[in-house]
Amino acid sequence: MILDIKERLGKTKYDVDKSYAHITVDESICEKCPHHFCVMACPAQCYTLQDGKLSFQYEDCVECGTCSVACDQGSVKWHFPKAGKGVIYKYG
Amino acid sequence: MPDYDAIVVGAGNAGSAAAITMAQKGLSVLLVDRSDPPGAKNLSGGVLWGNDLARILPKWQNEAPLERFIQDKKIGFLTDKSSIIIDFKTKIFEENKVGYTVLRSKFDPWLAKKAREAGATVIPGITVESLAKKDGKIIGVEESEDIVTASVVILAEGINPRLSIEAGLRGPLQDWEVSVGVKEIIKLSPQKIEDRFNLTSSSGMASEYILGNLEELNVGAFFYTNKDSISLGIVAPMEQLRENGVTHTYDIIEQFKEHPSIAPLIDGGTVAEYGAHMIPEGGLEMVPKLYGDGYMIVGDSAGFGFSNGLVLQGMNYAFLSGILAGETAVEAKGKGDFSSDSLSMYRQKLENSYVLKDLKTFKDIRKVTNNKNMYTTYPKMLESILLEMLWERGQPKKKVRDILGSCAADLKMSKLKTATDFYYIYRRM
Repeated sequence: MILDIKERLGKTKYDVDKSYAHITVDESICEKCPHHFCVMACPAQCYTLQDGKLSFQYEDCVECGTCSVACDQGSVKWHFPKAGKGVIYKYG
Repeated sequence: MPDYDAIVVGAGNAGSAAAITMAQKGLSVLLVDRSDPPGAKNLSGGVLWGNDLARILPKWQNEAPLERFIQDKKIGFLTDKSSIIIDFKTKIFEENKVGYTVLRSKFDPWLAKKAREAGATVIPGITVESLAKKDGKIIGVEESEDIVTASVVILAEGINPRLSIEAGLRGPLQDWEVSVGVKEIIKLSPQKIEDRFNLTSSSGMASEYILGNLEELNVGAFFYTNKDSISLGIVAPMEQLRENGVTHTYDIIEQFKEHPSIAPLIDGGTVAEYGAHMIPEGGLEMVPKLYGDGYMIVGDSAGFGFSNGLVLQGMNYAFLSGILAGETAVEAKGKGDFSSDSLSMYRQKLENSYVLKDLKTFKDIRKVTNNKNMYTTYPKMLESILLEMLWERGQPKKKVRDILGSCAADLKMSKLKTATDFYYIYRRM
């Protein structure tokens, strides 16, 4: 019953917009970030640290907006996905 | 002439309630939502208390896709090995069915359909890109370089109100204003749910917990029964998460599921969906200016939520604020005046309703929900007291007063500190 986060995200339905990233991060800002709190806060593991360097992907994003609050360095830019794209909850 | 009397951005509970209210009174209404079907971005982390829905949809209980009415409400503390729970099950809830579990992907499309039936134009799958302004007034919405105009725009964007923030109608959200909610749907057969929780085919159970088993975090949790699934999740304040700095939000929910008194309840179930959503927690202090020339802000976008660690509310505030904004727009149309001055009636109506009354009554509640003792010391203290009283270990019995004293000492709490803390919490709850 206890599942890895990737396995849990696999249960959720998406219509990923391959041509538009609704969240962007500025790598030059993230490089100097003292905390990388986004890595802890994001419930969908969109933010990970690899060899101390921040890596971001928007495909698993559940559009909660947490990272837009968590990032206090001005790196995260958050927009709504284009019409109908992104997460599609079947239960909610 | 504007294209519509009103445009509502967001077909969640607040937006659809506003659209229905206005359309029923003959206003021309456009209701847009970025998801298709509406509600596909929404998560329910609470019980739907529907008293206010009856104002616009008297037959809502017969028609809405509801899961189970709440007959059994539990509130409690979890420690590492124990659960201390008040189980309130009452015939009164059965005789007055107003609290229901819901799945938003079913409920929201139904409510949007009601807006359409009332005469509103409902278009799902439209992402409004920005608000259109002229001479400092909000005059409509923009999408793909098209501007659709209205006398009033009602912003029902939810807790992550990008358009309102970008238009400067409210500031960016701060840590203290939000919690992160993480939720899973666990599939379980109706038979198992009814046997396991002692329910009938229509009754349900709603539990809210304070997690006393996470050392450095003040986290609440919820557990609700749907028809053939369980909704469970955790609610973690952003301030706490940042201060803690080492815990992944997606791990906390699994710790809750693993708790010895929770794991058996979901045994044999399968995870059907995982999701997350922010929750407004800032109370009265986070409420933005609620209206201006040509706009009003409703529901989560306005910060209308309430939680004291044991009770979570928001959907009822969404319905009522949507209805009151709708009524204000109807009156504004009658006067032919959608200026800030005219729309200030919305604030007045909210002041006279339980929405702003609740937020005012509990304006200091964050001092309680931020009190670390509530999540660590007191659950442990309760556990120690109950162990002393209820566990026979061949030792002489103590009076409650002495048990309290020794438990407080074990947890390095002075009697005075404990007493003043209790009084402090008591005053604010």
